[in-house]
Amino acid sequence: MVATTLPETSDAQSHWDALAAKARWQNRAKNISLFAFLIAVSVPIIVPYFWLVTLAFSASLGGTDTEVLWASIFILVPALIVLWAWAAIANSRQNAVIGCGVISIATAVIYAILIGDKLHLNGFRFLVDPNFNTQNESIVGAQNNPGFSVATFPSVWRAAGNSLFVAGAQTLIVTMVGSLAGYYISRFKFPLRASMLRSMLVLHAFPTMTLIVPLFVVLWFIGLLDSLWGVMFVLVGIELPFAVFIMKGFFDAVPWEVEMSALADGATRRQAFVKVVLPQVTNGMIAVAVFSFIRGWEEYIFMLTFLIKNSNWTMSLYLFFITEENSLGIDFGLVSAVSVFYVIPSLVLYTVAQKYLLQMSVAGVKG
Amino acid sequence: MARIEFRHIEKRFGDVMVIPDMNIDIPDGEFVALLGPSGCGKSTSLFMLAGVYLPTGGELLFDGHRVNEVEARDRNVGIVFQAYALYPHMTVRENIMFPLRFKKVPPDEARARVLEAAELVQVSELMDRRPSQLSGGQQQRVALARALVKQPQLLLLDEPLSNLDATLRLTMRSEIKSLQRRLGVTTILVTHDQIEATTMADRVICMNKGEIEQIGSPDDLYLRPNTLFVAGFIGSPPINLVDGQAENGHLRAGEGTFDVTGSLPRRVTVGLRAEHMRFGDAGMPGRVRQVEPMGRETLYEVDTDIGTIRVLEAGSTAAHRIDGQVKIAFDRGDTLIFDSDTGRLVPDAHFAANGSA
Repeated sequence: MVATTLPETSDAQSHWDALAAKARWQNRAKNISLFAFLIAVSVPIIVPYFWLVTLAFSASLGGTDTEVLWASIFILVPALIVLWAWAAIANSRQNAVIGCGVISIATAVIYAILIGDKLHLNGFRFLVDPNFNTQNESIVGAQNNPGFSVATFPSVWRAAGNSLFVAGAQTLIVTMVGSLAGYYISRFKFPLRASMLRSMLVLHAFPTMTLIVPLFVVLWFIGLLDSLWGVMFVLVGIELPFAVFIMKGFFDAVPWEVEMSALADGATRRQAFVKVVLPQVTNGMIAVAVFSFIRGWEEYIFMLTFLIKNSNWTMSLYLFFITEENSLGIDFGLVSAVSVFYVIPSLVLYTVAQKYLLQMSVAGVKG
Repeated sequence: MARIEFRHIEKRFGDVMVIPDMNIDIPDGEFVALLGPSGCGKSTSLFMLAGVYLPTGGELLFDGHRVNEVEARDRNVGIVFQAYALYPHMTVRENIMFPLRFKKVPPDEARARVLEAAELVQVSELMDRRPSQLSGGQQQRVALARALVKQPQLLLLDEPLSNLDATLRLTMRSEIKSLQRRLGVTTILVTHDQIEATTMADRVICMNKGEIEQIGSPDDLYLRPNTLFVAGFIGSPPINLVDGQAENGHLRAGEGTFDVTGSLPRRVTVGLRAEHMRFGDAGMPGRVRQVEPMGRETLYEVDTDIGTIRVLEAGSTAAHRIDGQVKIAFDRGDTLIFDSDTGRLVPDAHFAANGSA
């Protein structure tokens, strides 16, 4: 009887209200669990970097105290949560900006009052002091590692310059050759085109470690062992196939009618390429350039194998030897400071070029 | 402006013969349409004119001069593509200016010509926008302006209206036509759309499988198709084609027998245009199978003794219902009789009497 009659209007309304409320709660629960998941997975990534930065500015010589680290976490984590919550509940953009500003300033003040006096730049002395390592020795005694001594460290700027040279030159060559080759493969037919494309991908699948010994021999044979040029060319060879492949994808996305229009409009083949096609793949070129630069900047194995003289050290080798000599309970501050110095260029590049890197995965799919 | 001639033009890609032997003569200032289904070789012809493909045989003449080997950029040909092919990183102004950059035109004159071209196609308010900020119709106009700014001796239009919506297509159709008349530039339109071809062009070249089926005015192609292919390709709704055999001076199709003047080949196909069919008191009896009101006209499909016949009647309200009994009549002069084996028109054969079973 009850089931067959239609509910009263107000009953029906409350029924719909209940359904709407349920949907709202489900949505909220979904969002909360999503954020919880994201936070949980990002913690293991963020914490080491956080620790690195904190140590770089606070570690004292010879000690391994974690007091500053914990204090920082206890100040910054609640501050971040408050920031996040405020950004979520603020009812206007202006309010959100003002609130976030206030919270940030308050956090900075609290931080300065509680642990400001424990922060120092002592870890960064390697930037200016060529004899930075003697400071350690005067306090904790000379190294018992006979292989390495203070004298083996070149200026950090020299190492950074070497890294910059290798990464920069490699980027230049990879981007230029990759663009030209990608264009050719995308636009022209030639024998073995398909197998060439396939083999380029296969090449990328081999672990580069397997090439170390042959490459060493080859470099020694042609006299480029222990030369920045040698390492640079090796990196070019390793990076190039993938760059060509990515660039081909970008060129494929440029309609050939556009190019043909340019030819009919009076451009030569080269003018059409430079004035019409290239401007449409600049995003791809930037993406390829950023990736190869970071690859060159971070390269370690080839540097360690093919570079010997300390005047040829790159940043990765510099960090490696700093770590070798100072990590055993001696100067975490120095190691962390060098790491921070080393990671900053990559970080800046990634941040600036984010939008291009995202496009690369999109265009690359077309392959 | 130029007179364009194809003389025994042949084009093959490797072993694939696309165009075996093509002969066309296009007088200066004419608007010609290359019409045909996809794969018929019309785009290949266009690309040979533009200088993208080299003909593998024959001669291509501009104003009597052989241009086979002349490069695309030296031919002074304007092209408008189906997808417009504007340069996305340039503004409208830069797009239209682009062809002049290679022509050593003094800057003042170049600016004036760009403005003139833009006004011609009514895009002068959009000069600082980029192609991505334009609608399809606007992009189309910019592409036209870019093709016209260099004062080409030949304008090539590759399916220029296919990407536009129906209303815009109508507008652009008449605009391009009047623009061409005003400028007097020799124009070749490539299309698979018979309406586009017949409405815009002075002459239509109907192609099929690399061969020219017929060259003629839109009227010629419609009323006097040379071949079965042309008859079937031109006209909407499509022509009624009825298979039949010659039997002692009569034509037998399905259950019907017709008296015919002229001599017939053994197997024939009769072409009857839907708009030449009419309902009458006498004629072929039939049963209405389908009624499609199309606004100004109504299309009927009628089952008759000789097969299903489409009949187009003026007026939007249907005079007959589905399953209604009707009689179909037509004039003997409107009948087209083709040789089924060769696909060619039998010119002197006609029905002896106006249509009746």
